[in-house]
Amino acid sequence: MINNDCIQDVSFTDCESSHVGKLCLQLNCDSDCILVLRSMVSVMTARAGMDALQSNRVAIAVDELFANIATHAYLGKPGKVEFVTRIDNRRHSGQIQEGQELVFDFRDYASIGWNGDLAEVASRILAIDELCPGGLGLRLICSVADHCEHKILEDGNQWRLTFNIDHGKRSKGEAHHEYRS
Amino acid sequence: MNTDLKFEQEEGDEGCTLLRVYGDVTIQTSPKLREQLKPLLGTSTKEIHVALEHVDFMDSSGIATLVEGLQWARMTGGRFVLSGLSENVRDVFELAKLDTVFEIEESPA
Repeated sequence: MINNDCIQDVSFTDCESSHVGKLCLQLNCDSDCILVLRSMVSVMTARAGMDALQSNRVAIAVDELFANIATHAYLGKPGKVEFVTRIDNRRHSGQIQEGQELVFDFRDYASIGWNGDLAEVASRILAIDELCPGGLGLRLICSVADHCEHKILEDGNQWRLTFNIDHGKRSKGEAHHEYRS
Repeated sequence: MNTDLKFEQEEGDEGCTLLRVYGDVTIQTSPKLREQLKPLLGTSTKEIHVALEHVDFMDSSGIATLVEGLQWARMTGGRFVLSGLSENVRDVFELAKLDTVFEIEESPA
């Protein structure tokens, strides 16, 4: 059962650039809304024509990012997270490219801003003894998402995960990291 | 989606334990897995087999919990074996490059 406090607001709106629209949610990060997120990922990956394995990779990335916000930005305390997902025309440096992409935007209002380097996190060589859920989660996100962006705002953080929609092809799913034993 | 994690535990001969896990292992449920696993990571245990054929989804907190078993095996010379990984769970281990670090078998012993 999903806690009623989980969803503060939900809206289903048309997105100008996409015939499949976008989904918006405002969530409490300390609740069991991971189930709601998982359902939304399921809907959007089905709309994007992704297979089960690809859908699982997207679910992993979205779960990990939400868990990171709850754990590291809000330190396990209640906090508002705005979540928007849409299928859009693919863009690179603001220019529209051929093909589409599945986009997930997260916005939190935490006073703690994450100031790490995503590229460094993705490429860091870890020892097995140093493995922890937070660090490993970000590395998994970087492994499966085609693009991951983070901005520190005056009143919180903004994250964007982008997955290229290539019908019949898997998203990158490449992990460049290694472990020291 | 199965948010309630359940376990079956069988004690075998000579310090060998089989732990069968049912449900999704996520940041919400991984503390239960850790709670179940921790008492097994003692000096009298020689082998721990974790059967994951009933786990469809696992995130990094689940993997990190299993890494504790791996660390125990490295410290004590014991065996920590995972088995029955679904395609999704195996994919996460491969993405994390941990499929070659853990001892993984196709089905439980």
